[in-house]
Parts: sequence; structure tokens; C-alpha cells
Amino acid sequence: MMRRVPEQNQGVRRRDPAGVVGMGFIILAMVPLVILPLASVFIFGFSKGPVHFMSALTEPAALHALQLSLTTSVAATLCNVTFGILAAWFLSRYQLPGGETGGSALRSGLMILISLPTAIPTAVAGFALLLLWGRSGLLGRFIEQTDYQIMFTTAAIVLANIFVTFPLAFGVIKPALDNLDTNYEAAAETMGATRWQTFRYVVLPSLRGAILTGALLTFARSIGEFGSTIMVSGNLAMRTQTAPLYIFAKFNEGDIEGANAIAAVLAVISFAIFSLIMVTRGRWGRLS
Amino acid sequence: MREFSDQPQQPRRTALRVRGLSKWFGTEQVLDDISFSIDEGESLAILGHSGSGKTTTLRIIAGLEAPDTGEIMLGGRRIEHLPARERNIGVIFQNYALFPRMTVTENICFGLRIRGVGRDERQRVAAGMLALTGLSDQCDKYPAQLSGGQQQRVAIARALAYQPALLLFDESFSALDPQTRGGLRREIRALLRQLRVPALFITHDQEEAMELGDQIAILSHGRIEQIGPPAEVYHHPRTEFVATFLGAANILAGVMVDGQIFIAGQEPPVTSTGSRIGAGERVRLLFRPEDGVVTDPTEQVEVLLSLGEGVISEVGFAGAIEWLTIELGGRRQGAPPAATIRISRTRWEADRARLSAGQTVAVGLRRHQLLE
Repeated sequence: MMRRVPEQNQGVRRRDPAGVVGMGFIILAMVPLVILPLASVFIFGFSKGPVHFMSALTEPAALHALQLSLTTSVAATLCNVTFGILAAWFLSRYQLPGGETGGSALRSGLMILISLPTAIPTAVAGFALLLLWGRSGLLGRFIEQTDYQIMFTTAAIVLANIFVTFPLAFGVIKPALDNLDTNYEAAAETMGATRWQTFRYVVLPSLRGAILTGALLTFARSIGEFGSTIMVSGNLAMRTQTAPLYIFAKFNEGDIEGANAIAAVLAVISFAIFSLIMVTRGRWGRLS
Repeated sequence: MREFSDQPQQPRRTALRVRGLSKWFGTEQVLDDISFSIDEGESLAILGHSGSGKTTTLRIIAGLEAPDTGEIMLGGRRIEHLPARERNIGVIFQNYALFPRMTVTENICFGLRIRGVGRDERQRVAAGMLALTGLSDQCDKYPAQLSGGQQQRVAIARALAYQPALLLFDESFSALDPQTRGGLRREIRALLRQLRVPALFITHDQEEAMELGDQIAILSHGRIEQIGPPAEVYHHPRTEFVATFLGAANILAGVMVDGQIFIAGQEPPVTSTGSRIGAGERVRLLFRPEDGVVTDPTEQVEVLLSLGEGVISEVGFAGAIEWLTIELGGRRQGAPPAATIRISRTRWEADRARLSAGQTVAVGLRRHQLLE
């Protein structure tokens, strides 16, 4: 079905001095609250010149922290996008057991459960992971008997990232799937497609935009994660120190330039991801 | 009801046979003992209001819904237990359901791709389908870039590409503007005749049903009221519902005595021959506006049935035809009119003998139908 995003309500926009005053107020309020703090990262970062900035950035611990943040965020994103697609597919397209009322109650319950992790403070999330996987944790005490360890490793960072970004991809993909006309699937089925073929060739391509947006949101949230990571990673430089932890550590050491360089890079990455999200939303929002 | 498939004098083979189909949604019965068949190369139009069960019928045949009882035979094979993908049926959905991320060609090739047909063969079939539906210059476009009529052609090409045993059209013309609709309807009719693919149309538009169906079935509250060729159903409706659904109809209630129909307030009684309706029984006399003949009372005109005299209360202009509203039997001073009827005349008839409100005329019928 073709549905076009309606034109913006430009016809009713007023040309009025109040508009100019209002815009001015918005910008004025944003200067100290948002714009100046961001700007100061770049102003201070480059205050001693680009050479200084580059040397702070290329310090081995800094590069390692950035690389660790990127890889753990990619891992968490892959995991949560896969889960999000599957969960959205089953919750949107399948009848749950328990009849009309029981099924919908079960559905609501599952939706809440999936969405819960973002509502939990990140420090609590990290602490919870420790209580489960730590040395004397519920499951950790069994792992303790083997040679393996989960807490204070890269795996712990990925687990923390997965937990705090759990519902983000699902939250974008589920509504997109709900809005997808089931007649596409019916058409594919009558044409001879199996469920998997229908999913692969018809549903998945239609969700491309939502999947990309969900992935970017998850990645952006992961790469900046601090609260849960500091609880579970051990914050070991060159081993389990992510970029946000590196910023905090350098700041505590009084190495402002070191903190600043990574902060600037994280800000640029976030800005780039955010722009991508806006662009993909605009592009895919217009189709179907 | 006429059985048109099993009789030996009919050499045509049955493509689709539906027998005793019933369906409940919860406690509500939406289909009640639906039976019909479509011959090889023929089409059936199921006509009904929304909620009559016509879409459910289509979805059950397509395999998108399971029937509670009944059997479906397609090409001599029972299919009601098969999943949709194994039925080899082509469905043209109401909004066409063209895959938005695929080009026209990719949409058309989808059924073949699923069947593991090679790339060259797919392209060959697609080119043929595009030529057949007049879409060759649109092949690389996406559905959103096409007009409604073009989208429907793609939907048909996509369904025909894998040579289905049956085509189902789900209200496929309702989203189009009237001009496109008429032209496309005739085109599709010609295409189906050419390819000899059996087709089932679902519609709420009587004009569409009569134009597209070799047979039409009128569905009401989950039951088939009547099934037959369009002309037969139009001229010989078996129920009042069928009569009024298929077009404008006048219905006069009366009582049958000695081959004469006494209509309240109407004198003399109407003489009807060849009716099987017994004496003293209630009867409804039914006729279409175009079957009425209006003449000067002094004139003698050959009609099959005379309704006596009436007074014209309104003359309405409607382009190709003229509408006459006539109060029957109200000629005598003070007597209430027996009934108000509507009769249409062609523009040519209207211009030849002009009539105006207040005139007394004799009303006869060329054709009528009696309902018990």
C-alpha cells in the first residue's frame, strides 16, 4: 500500500514577530545548556594546537579504549538487532497462547519485560550483572570452578552493553512491522513462498530502514555507556577500559588534554551517527 | 439452482468446485453452506455488501483462512487442507500488495524465483507478461512510482507469471477512479478470455459483477441468494434482495386470485399468465424501470402486462434516460394512489413523446417477474 508522509503544515505557519522572538528564545536557552558545553570540548581539545591533540589521541591506551568501545558496541548491536527482529516478528505476527484476553495480556507482559532494561539505572544494571556473573554470583560461582571468567573481561562489557541497550532496536522495529501491511506476506504466500522466504525477501527488505535506525540507536547508546561498564569491566587500562572510562580516568589523573581528545572523538562519532539516523529516517520514512 | 458442471450435455470441465463451505468467527457465522463452481476458462463474480462474507470466501479459497466445514476442489484435487503456497492460485489484492522494495520486473519474477526457475527463463517470462499487460516501458520502476491502474496490471502480471490454476480478484477495481476502472475491466476481461484462466471476482459493485462474471453469485449474510448468468439473475431475480441489489426495481405487493393479481387500491386487477403461484397467495410483482411502457390511455399498445392507468407526478432528466415517477390508480378524484412506481425512458423515447407532470397515462410492462 502506498502511503505518503503528508506535506508539512506549511500553509498554516504564521509570519509573525512572535515567531522571531520565540526562535531567539529557543536558541538563547540552548546556548548555555547544550551548545557551549559541546563547543568547549572542541575549543579545549584544540587549544594547544592540532599536534598536541593528535599525540593525545594516538597514545596506545587511548587508541585501545576507542577500539574496545567500538568492538563491544558492534557486538552488542548485532546481538540486540537480531533479537529485536525476532521478537518483533513473533510479537507482531503470531497468536500467543491463552486465547483472546490471555494472549494479549501475555503480549503486554512480554513488551514490558523487553522494554524494562532502559528504565533501570545503568549502575544498577552493572551491579545486577555482578551479582549474577561475579565470583560468588548466582551463575558466577559455577564458572568460578572452571578456568573461565566473565566479569572484568571484554565479555562483561558486551553483556553490560546488551543489557542497557536491550529494547532500543526492538522499539524501532516492532512499530515498523506493525505498520507493514500483512497483505504483502499473504501475497508472497499465495505466490508459493515459505515463511522463511516471505520473511527473507518481503518482510526484511521492508524493515531495512527500521533495522538501520535501530542499529544506529543501539550503537550510539553502547559506545557512550559508562555506569554499567565501570561496575563490570574492572577499568583496566589497555585491557578493559572503554573510551568513556578512559575519559574519566584521564580527568582524574589531571590529564585534561588526554580526556579531551577522546571526548572530542566520541562527540564526533555520536554526531555522525545521529545525522545518519536523521537521514535514514527521512529517506525510508518517505517510502511505503 | 442450475447445476452447470456435472451434466453430461455440458462438455466444459470444472476448474473450481466449492461445496458446503461454512465459517464461524467466534459465535458469529460468516459463511453458511456456500457451494458453487467455476468452469475451465470461465469467471464467477461474487457480489455482496461488506460483511456478506465474500472476502472470507476468497481468503478461504486462497488458503489464507481455514474453513470450518466444506471442501474445495481445484483441477480435480482437494486443496482445502493445503497451505496457500501449495495451491497454485494467483491473488490480486484490493491494494495489489506489490512488494514496495522490488521493481516491476522483480515483482513479476517473484513467483518464479521462489519456484527455482533460472534467471534467463524468469526474464523471458517477465518480458512476455510485461508485453501482455502493456507495461514494457515501466519494468524498472518501483510500485510507488506507478498509477493505480498500472499497479493493478503489475499485480495481474505477477499472478499470471507462474501460471496459476485460478485467479482471485479481491475488490481489485474499487481503488481506481471510474474512468480507469471501466477501461481496465474490459481489458482484463479480454485478457482472461485470451488466456482461458478461470477467475473469481469479489465485488460490491453490481455493474462490475455483471461485466466481469460469466456467472454471478449474490451473497448475503454468508449465504448465496442466487447464482447464474448476469442476464438471468438480472431479469429473473429469485428474491427481493437480489432484485434490488442488481439495479433499480419496482415491487408491488398483491394477492393472486384466478390468475389475476389484486394490488391494493388498484383496479382493475392485473392479469398474469403462466404463473405457478396458487390462488389466494401473496405475491410480489417485480419489474425494472426500463421494462415499463408509458402510453396515452386511448392508445392501444401491445404489452405483456397492463398495470392500468396512473398519473405522472414527476419527470426527471438524467442524461441518457428520463425518469418518470407515476402514481398508479390515483386517477379517480379522492382515491389514494395504489402505488408509486418509477419508470425510465430512453432519451429517444422521451423526445418522441414528451410527457409532463399531471398527465394521465396507461402503464404496461414488457417484462416482469413474480415473487412469492
